[in-house]
Amino acid sequence: MAIRQLSPETVNRIAAGEVVERPASVVKELVENAIDAGATQIEIVISGGGLSLIRVTDDGSGMTPDDLVLAVERHATSKLDEEDLFDIRCLGFRGEALPSIGSIARLEIRSRPADANQGAAVTVTRGSKAPVGPAAVNRGTVVEVRDLFSATPARLKFLKSERAEAMAVTDVVRRLAMAHPDIGFTLQTGEKKPAVFARGDRSSAAWLERIGAIMGREFMDDALEVSGAGSGASAPMRVFGFAGLPTLHRQDSTQQFLFVNGRPVKDKLLIGAVRAAYGDLIPRGRSPLLALFLDVAPSDVDVNVHPAKAEVRFRDAGRVRALMVRALSDALATAGHRASAQGGVLTVESFAAGILPSAAMSPPPSSDAAYQWAPPRPAPALSGTGFAEGAQTPFAVFDAPSADARTFAEPAAGETVDKPLGAVRAQVHENYIVAQTRDGLVIVDQHAAHERLVYEKLKAALADGGVARQGLLIPAIVELDDDDAVTLVARSDELTELGLVIESFGEGAVAVREVPALLGETDVEGLVKDLAAELRSDGTARALKDRLDSVASRMACHGSVRSGRRLTVEEMNALLRQMEATPYSGQCNHGRPTYVALKLTDIERLFGRR
Amino acid sequence: MRLEIERGELLKALSHVTSVVERRTTIPILSNVMLKATGDVLMFKATDLEREVSESVSAKVATPGTLTVPAHVLHDIVRKLPDGAEIEMKRDGDKERLTITSGHSRFSLQMLSADDFPDLAVGEIGHEFTIEAGDLKRLIDKTRFAISTEETRYYLNGIYLHPAETNGTKTLRAVATDGHRLAQVELPLPKGAEGMPGVIVPRKTVHELARLLEDTSAKVKVGVSQTKVRFEIGPVVLTSKLIDGTFPDYGRVIPHNNDKEMKVPNASFKSAVDRVSTIASERGRAVKLNVGKDKLILTVNNPEGGSATEEIAVGYSSGPLEIGFNARYLLDIADQLESEDARFLLADPGSPTMVRDGGDGSALYVLMPMRV
Ligand SMILES: Nc1ncnc2c1ncn2[C@@H]1O[C@H](COP(=O)(O)OP(=O)(O)OP(=O)(O)O)[C@@H](O)[C@H]1O
Ligand SMILES: [Mg+2]
Repeated sequence: MAIRQLSPETVNRIAAGEVVERPASVVKELVENAIDAGATQIEIVISGGGLSLIRVTDDGSGMTPDDLVLAVERHATSKLDEEDLFDIRCLGFRGEALPSIGSIARLEIRSRPADANQGAAVTVTRGSKAPVGPAAVNRGTVVEVRDLFSATPARLKFLKSERAEAMAVTDVVRRLAMAHPDIGFTLQTGEKKPAVFARGDRSSAAWLERIGAIMGREFMDDALEVSGAGSGASAPMRVFGFAGLPTLHRQDSTQQFLFVNGRPVKDKLLIGAVRAAYGDLIPRGRSPLLALFLDVAPSDVDVNVHPAKAEVRFRDAGRVRALMVRALSDALATAGHRASAQGGVLTVESFAAGILPSAAMSPPPSSDAAYQWAPPRPAPALSGTGFAEGAQTPFAVFDAPSADARTFAEPAAGETVDKPLGAVRAQVHENYIVAQTRDGLVIVDQHAAHERLVYEKLKAALADGGVARQGLLIPAIVELDDDDAVTLVARSDELTELGLVIESFGEGAVAVREVPALLGETDVEGLVKDLAAELRSDGTARALKDRLDSVASRMACHGSVRSGRRLTVEEMNALLRQMEATPYSGQCNHGRPTYVALKLTDIERLFGRR
Repeated sequence: MRLEIERGELLKALSHVTSVVERRTTIPILSNVMLKATGDVLMFKATDLEREVSESVSAKVATPGTLTVPAHVLHDIVRKLPDGAEIEMKRDGDKERLTITSGHSRFSLQMLSADDFPDLAVGEIGHEFTIEAGDLKRLIDKTRFAISTEETRYYLNGIYLHPAETNGTKTLRAVATDGHRLAQVELPLPKGAEGMPGVIVPRKTVHELARLLEDTSAKVKVGVSQTKVRFEIGPVVLTSKLIDGTFPDYGRVIPHNNDKEMKVPNASFKSAVDRVSTIASERGRAVKLNVGKDKLILTVNNPEGGSATEEIAVGYSSGPLEIGFNARYLLDIADQLESEDARFLLADPGSPTMVRDGGDGSALYVLMPMRV
């Protein structure tokens, strides 16, 4: 076959195949354009899952008739300075989206810049452009896409149900809305009421409001503000956002929202950083909830590595990772003892469930029967003496297991209700400490809490006392890939600090001379291989730390106050004060909360006072 | 099968054999003990596929036969019957049940056919020798603390028993190591053991053997082949598979040039280590030994728990030395020592230290130091 130059229509359709995978991709491109145009209000309407209609209306800069002609031309963009391909400040930069969409659908753009009295319109029907004409339109731009994929029936076959496509559109809009609290969004996907995200500003309160509207109240209540700055490869960078308390977690990472320069991304490096920061605070296999916005200088990140711009490449990945881990860890450490407020909500729910089914509760007297209502009769007085049943009954009290609730009517010396975990009021079931706070009460699981305290102490001791090393009679020789052996040996100083002494042993092998004494007799070869694999994949020596931590955690479990032990008020108050002072004490080593808080308002709700 | 037997005989044999039976197993027959009645003996046999224990006791056998019943249940029943009771065991015709009657008690146990009972038959035993029970006990008791429990190094999960030579005397030598410390004990080579191969006796077999040796003073007949070992202790026979692996060349780690000798009074050393390590509550804490002219200072430093120091008068005239050891390892070794004085042969804080039991040349211990 002879070589031919492809027609512009074909080129556009091929490009469309990359950019426009499904209706949600069109919505993404159009909303990004509106954001780039400086809009403050964006309205999105779709029908038929976006296949029959997508309409995006904005109040941004608008386009002149001349702009309109160019906008639908391939590689026409107002956003890229050809002098500096790496200086990308807008969401769009390729000048590809509109012509691509025009090649596979019926595209109509109506637009009017603020300073023009008259609007203009252009239409592209499956690649053929009609001349620009006048049109009546408000300030801003309306883009309408109809009959998407009608020119490429093959693509239609791969689409999911209308509902699934509409969901994908919702997802795209939410992600963009999350990054732009200063823009109001309205999304209408069907017959139902539209989703409205009111316009706010870029203050952290407004941001949390917007994120909460998307991720849910539960997240809002348990969110910690994250904020950090550092220097990137060539310019400063910063990270901002909200991270859920470690006690709040999900099975998958669908509630992890990561943005780079306002662009939603799925990035391995960032996901790895999140995992590293949460570390052992979260049970294995669970994912934290968070929304983080990383801003780096355009020159320090390459966004042009993925057709849909979902992946990015950093010039200095190490610094980005370090900044992320540090900012997150700082936020998590300040959380200290704070545990999930979820506990409180769950508690209220279970209380509520507890009172409903009781048949013993008399129905509220109806108005006409009101006078018939009589106070409940008192329980029959104890009658009879000796061994009659009535006389025996009181002793049954002693059989009741763990009915022991040690209460302390007298406030403990130094009233502490103002402290975050309050003043101890009682110990119940020999494992739960009930304390009163200024605005509610907390219930502490004494075993779990103490276990965490011991664990954190051990870890701190490990960290500053250095790790004692046990010499090996016979050095263990571990065979590895050449590269792995070299990487490991290069990091040997760091490993020595963690108690592992290795040295190079010819090509593709290392000799282990000393191991952390804490590990006792351990599978040296397995440990070294795990370490090599980790250093290869994300540059951390987590395996060793993990193992040390897990020994520490096991030891913590043995050294802690078991449930079932009665504590004095002083002991309990001391426990609460230690929890307040210890980072990460809000959950136990197994990721469960160490205490739940019940707000006075929750309690009032239980009694129908609210 | 039908027989009568005295409770004491039965209980002794059952407690010998049932200890190898795993409490939880996926192969039902392995929970059972085999009973084989012939002539005027009742033979018991139990196994976990790696080792088997059998024992024969005399019984009044009316009808010979072979069958298997749940071992722990049978053991528990016999244990609870009164002292001196006469017990009758009888299979009810063709029914798959064994009835046990004694006095007014009567039990009926579900049995399994003995046809499927695994047999660890030794095959060719190439080498046989006899050894005093006390000597064998010493070989394993003084070395077994050093057996490795790390399964990836399976070849260290037992005691290496082999013929050797020390100062021109042929010996039977037992060695165990976990890579952190090593224990070696030997005795003159018994007749018949000359050509035996070096074998690694698995940890569990070692513990079983130690138990069986507890209440005997008889001679033990040992048989060794390439893959199995057999110990005949009176009426009890323990047969075990060997660990199929190569024991490392341990000779290399035994230091020969440690010239700093410290003579330590055993009893006070043992209790001093025990006392100071009270502070070393957790695993992996070091006891520091400060050795100076005729003086040893033991220290444990635990940033959270406090510290402990104790001074002992020792015999030492080389240069001062500071060296750390894992507290537990030191205690383990101290526990093995019997003579009045222990001899520590030291080199430097990073090299292995040798410990000897006073004048007793037949036992030696090597310990790798710890560093902080
Ligand atoms: N809603 C809008 N308001 C104002 N101008 C717009 C709007 N949409 C598009 N434009 C203009 O049309 C141009 C082409 O848009 P298009 O989406 O095709 O390319 P792009 O946004 O520059 O790059 P990309 O292909 O990466 O999205 C933009 O550069 C911009 O100038
Ligand atoms: Mg665009």
